Amino acid sequence: MNHNKKPLRFLTASLIAVSLLCVCIFSFLAFYMNQRSGDTISSVGQIYMSGMSQQISRHFETTIGLRLSQVEALVETNAPGTKDQDELMADLIYSAKARGFEHLALYSADGSFETLYGSNLTVTDPEPFLASLNGDEKKIAVGTDAAGDKLVLMGVSCTYPMAGGKTCTALVAAISVDYISDTLSLDNEGGLMYSHIIRQDGSFVIRSGDAYRDNYFDRINAIYDELDGSDAQRHIQELQAAMDTGEDYSTVLVIGKERRHLLCTKLAYSEWYLVVVMPYGALNEEISHLSREWSLMAIGGCAVVLAALLLVFFRYIQITRQQMAELEQARQAAIAANRAKSEFLSNMSHDIRTPMNAIVGMTAIATANIGNQQQVQHCLRKIALSGKHLLNLINDVLDMSKIESGKMTLNIDQVSLREMMDGIVSIVQPQVRAKQQQFDIFIHDISSENVCCDSVRLNQVVLNLLSNAVKFTPVEGSIHISLYQEPSPQGDGFVRTHLLVRDSGIGMSPEFQAKIFDSFSREDSRRVQRTEGTGLGMAITKFIVDAMGGTIQLQSEQGKGSEFHVTLDLERSTVQEADMVLPDWNMLVVDDDRELCESTVASLKSIGLNAEWTLDGESAVSMAEERHRRHDGYHIILLDWKLPGMDGIETARELRRRLGDNIPILLISAYDWSDIETEAKGAGINSFISKPLFKSTLFYGLRPFVDAGETIPEPPPQEQEADFTGRRILLAEDNELNWEIADELLSSLGMELDWAENGKICVEKFSAAAPGYYDAVLMDLRMPIMTGYEATQAIRALDRPDASLPIIAMTADAFSEDIQRCLDAGMNAHISKPIDLREVSRLLEKYLNS
Amino acid sequence: MTLQECYAAMGGNYEEVLGRLRSDRLIQKFVLKFVDDGSYQLLLDSMASNNYEEAFRAAHTIKGVCQNLGLTRLLRSSSQLSEALRHGYTPEADGLTEEVTRDYQEAVAAIRAFQASLGT
Repeated sequence: MNHNKKPLRFLTASLIAVSLLCVCIFSFLAFYMNQRSGDTISSVGQIYMSGMSQQISRHFETTIGLRLSQVEALVETNAPGTKDQDELMADLIYSAKARGFEHLALYSADGSFETLYGSNLTVTDPEPFLASLNGDEKKIAVGTDAAGDKLVLMGVSCTYPMAGGKTCTALVAAISVDYISDTLSLDNEGGLMYSHIIRQDGSFVIRSGDAYRDNYFDRINAIYDELDGSDAQRHIQELQAAMDTGEDYSTVLVIGKERRHLLCTKLAYSEWYLVVVMPYGALNEEISHLSREWSLMAIGGCAVVLAALLLVFFRYIQITRQQMAELEQARQAAIAANRAKSEFLSNMSHDIRTPMNAIVGMTAIATANIGNQQQVQHCLRKIALSGKHLLNLINDVLDMSKIESGKMTLNIDQVSLREMMDGIVSIVQPQVRAKQQQFDIFIHDISSENVCCDSVRLNQVVLNLLSNAVKFTPVEGSIHISLYQEPSPQGDGFVRTHLLVRDSGIGMSPEFQAKIFDSFSREDSRRVQRTEGTGLGMAITKFIVDAMGGTIQLQSEQGKGSEFHVTLDLERSTVQEADMVLPDWNMLVVDDDRELCESTVASLKSIGLNAEWTLDGESAVSMAEERHRRHDGYHIILLDWKLPGMDGIETARELRRRLGDNIPILLISAYDWSDIETEAKGAGINSFISKPLFKSTLFYGLRPFVDAGETIPEPPPQEQEADFTGRRILLAEDNELNWEIADELLSSLGMELDWAENGKICVEKFSAAAPGYYDAVLMDLRMPIMTGYEATQAIRALDRPDASLPIIAMTADAFSEDIQRCLDAGMNAHISKPIDLREVSRLLEKYLNS
Repeated sequence: MTLQECYAAMGGNYEEVLGRLRSDRLIQKFVLKFVDDGSYQLLLDSMASNNYEEAFRAAHTIKGVCQNLGLTRLLRSSSQLSEALRHGYTPEADGLTEEVTRDYQEAVAAIRAFQASLGT
């Protein structure tokens, strides 16, 4: 879902960004701290080294100073001239040996030695040494003995006589260089540092460590050359410059990856410089170890933070998903509720439309046959039934929230199953006929026609099932409804009533059967898309049946049809059914349904009649003729309309031809007979009985023939026609043909008619005539220029003594609102077209004579 | 062709109209005049010019005439048409007009056939 992905994308992006930021910060921290620790180590090293070099140089100064003062002491204790020359020398040698000097010699001003003991000495760099000693200074220098071992020479000015009559310039004592390096711990094995002593030109005085070249500068060059020697010369120059000014020099040599701290300081009593070198190798290791740890810690910290972030992120996603799901669920619920509401509305409007169709249709039929009282009555009865049903439904709409909230209650009252079925059949009839479906009603074993039940709900159930059957059954399919009763397990006060609605329609898939009783379901396949309705019906049906304590079962197969079976245990009504007994006539029932025949015969027997049955028109004719010949003819014959072969009307015609007009023949049909009525009457049918055939239906349908006995009802007696001779009537009618007919008919009663083509002419003619000239006005309503209503109002408004003469409306409409409007406009009465002489003369008589 | 046959062809109710007009002579007289009645033309013209008020009145008049003459079939369609037009135009009116046309022409054809059989 789109709106779901956006925050997710944002979250993922932020997670990645935060993770990257984390990694960056930790990396920077690690790098920076490494750098810082390197710097710190450098400065610590510098402090440490300058301390160390000071210490070394002071130590050197002290050691050399001590040795020099020993040499001075030699000179002082054996001052020249105080003793004999030989004794003096012997003492000097003795004292010097006692003080650990390895060599002792006299040094002449021209630089030659007179060895007192030890081997011959050679000064490595004699000029500065000689110059200093000639300058009456103490000085040390490096020299070699005869064996070539390196020695430190310490010279103190003195004037001993030398061989050859010369006087020496200084006494020089020598000790091994190792003495100095050992004393100074220059080559500190296992220590951090090592030191060299060099001269200003870079040559070594004392070398230590792995140095093997003669010149320190060469060494530096060599070391740099091995790696990357670009900085070597610069360092050497800086070092020489520092040596020239006599300052200390400190620097960090970066040789490849290795760093070495170098410190150079001048030593006392000599032209020497102490070079202290501290390689950071060991420290570096420590530092890299530290930085490794640092890095590890940083990575670890980063990982922990990331893990925490991820955890939070995924938890958040999880919660969000959950919320989304809940939200979606709530949304779906809201949508479903909304859909339920709108579908409920459309469902209701469909339910309302069904009886409304019956009302509109019946009204049109009644209007078209307004003169046919029987027909109108028939229509009105059906209109009343449909209207009642409609009213109930509309009440249901208000009540529907109860069903939805499960608070529906049943309003138990007394119900006549016969009336209920009558009503329902007349409601669905128009639909059945429109689809030319075969419609069978089968009612048998009814032990209690009146039961206690919620009539509206029961109606709703049956109507739902039936209208669904009609809806889902194709044109010319068949629909079968049965109603029968059996003893109830709940006792004698109850009767188990079965209602079966079977159709040959499209049927239902097993999946759909499982959910048909859920709300708002309808099989969603192409076949039913053209069928209207929402599917709330079955849910309501199920709910009602459940509320009534009954069961509803469904058997269906796709393409073959469906059967709903409703079983209800209904309480028998305590009201006694009317005592229905008819004379023990012989009767013949003709219907192609054997079960219907048998059940009808049983019902007829229960009201006192003897009945036989047969399945087709041909056998009916022969049976009737046979009985007729034996002078034991049937008193009444019931004929089904739809029969195989000869249909009901043909059969009736045949019976009339053979048996004459005396036997009442009644047509039974589940269909509305208004279409066939004329034809049926023409064929000799006396009356109709509509299916379903309850006992009471039969009783009330047959009773009119009791009085008549075996004769057909007499035609109504001719009315005495009134005489209207000399009466003048003004007739407003826009249609000439209608006028002529009216003129023709009414003239036959002796009255004179004047024609007004519209309302305006009518008013003018009336105004122009002398008062009392016209006795009455017959007024068409729909006329051009001025309508009947307006003309009436105009006449009534005239200032004439006869302005209140009788005005009778004539109209093709027979709606009560029209009648009311006529009366409101000031008319006295209303007759509907076609003009019926009896009706007109009755009304005229009434108003003219009053 | 008898008047009854003419009525059967028109989808009319001969017995009913005979009950009211009481003589074949009258029925015949009026039925023959029905052909000349202008209401049908008025209906077509009004529908064509979208004057539905006038069309309603015309349909209503046809209905009234049919009631008087017992022309049941045409009565039914004209009655439905007038209901469809009672409160102005409704979509059903077009279809119903066609129905009225069909029924009217059937009736007129039957009457003409009847007239022809009278030999006049």
